[in-house]
Amino acid sequence: MDLEANRSIIAAALARIAYGDRAALQTVYQLTSAKLFGICLRILGERGAAEDVLQEVFVTVWRKAADFDPSRASPVAWLTAIARNRAIDQLRAERRAPRAAPIDAAAAISDPEPIADRAMEQSEANQRLHRCLDSLDALDRTALRAAFFDGNTYEALAARMNVPLGTMKSRIRRALLKLKSCLER
Amino acid sequence: MSDITHQPDAPEDDLLAAEYALGVLSGEERSAIEQRIRREPTFALLVEAWEQRLAPWAEDIDAAAVSPAIWERLAARLSNKPTANAGWWQSLAFWRALTAATAALAAACVGALILVNTTLRQLPLVAAIDGAAGHAFVATVDERHRTIAVLPAAFVADPTRVPELWLIPSDGKPRALGLLQADHAVTIPIPADLAVLITRESVLAVSLEPPGGSPSSSPTGPVIGQGALTNL
Repeated sequence: MDLEANRSIIAAALARIAYGDRAALQTVYQLTSAKLFGICLRILGERGAAEDVLQEVFVTVWRKAADFDPSRASPVAWLTAIARNRAIDQLRAERRAPRAAPIDAAAAISDPEPIADRAMEQSEANQRLHRCLDSLDALDRTALRAAFFDGNTYEALAARMNVPLGTMKSRIRRALLKLKSCLER
Repeated sequence: MSDITHQPDAPEDDLLAAEYALGVLSGEERSAIEQRIRREPTFALLVEAWEQRLAPWAEDIDAAAVSPAIWERLAARLSNKPTANAGWWQSLAFWRALTAATAALAAACVGALILVNTTLRQLPLVAAIDGAAGHAFVATVDERHRTIAVLPAAFVADPTRVPELWLIPSDGKPRALGLLQADHAVTIPIPADLAVLITRESVLAVSLEPPGGSPSSSPTGPVIGQGALTNL
């Protein structure tokens, strides 16, 4: 699924939302709500909570559309960040128990790599990100994924990987810097 | 860490921004970061840059069907309009630049909708109304509320004429749906007698008419764009 193909349409609609154009919000909603709901659902794991957060996401879009700057940001990435941030904030507010399955070398190896069979549907940005993620240590990549997709904290990751918190933190930070330098290459 | 708070380029701030964007921080740490995002524009840019870097990963997450009730609940909450500040979106140059790109993308938009909606039961009818001169509207049908939302994607206003939306069902006879706006999206209620004609394969067309709309029951001005409704 390549929402990036909608980039100009969504950017134009966001500009109109900044003017208080409700129909434009409806357009953005129709184009993106299923995708953003998928993101909320993945992080929160529960429909009711994900539906509440999805509403908050679009209330934020309605209020903050003027902050979106198309010269700096992709509209899809901007919307994705709002959805992820609201979902993770909600997860933290609920203080739910994190996913507890241990992450070890075996888990890292068996971790699904969706890019292989979905390459045709992914944007260039997604493929580039995957290429850089692939250059990371498999365990680090799995830890980043558990944080990004499931909202795991450092504490949860340290417990799942059975390493001290400080070690977890420096591993993730090192992996993030490596990722950044690969993406900027 | 507090001693480098005001050096936005400090590696520590970049790492904090990365940790926030990744989603690995605790609730308290996130609140502190969110406060800094509101107060420190340079720090906010670091966070935004990390969000832009990581967001494409979310394409790996499948879309999920949303209950139609959610839009209704949401719409009910949006009674207050946000205040628009003067900004890039008021620039004519911006809209001109967008015009060229958008007409071509309207078709891609419909294509992407196919992918977005393959897992959904409630599939919206959409039409990209494209014309040779780069005019383009994007229409989405809300069947539940019997309305059509029409967004002027790349329509350049003509001061003497107004764009009017027509439904052309399989019998080929145009039916007037309503006037459009060049500078903002409009939501047009679908007349009860036309609702049954708004189906897959029906065509939406836009013509330029005198102010107030076509004086007859069919288009009198040039048809500047058309596109088939598709149920995807």
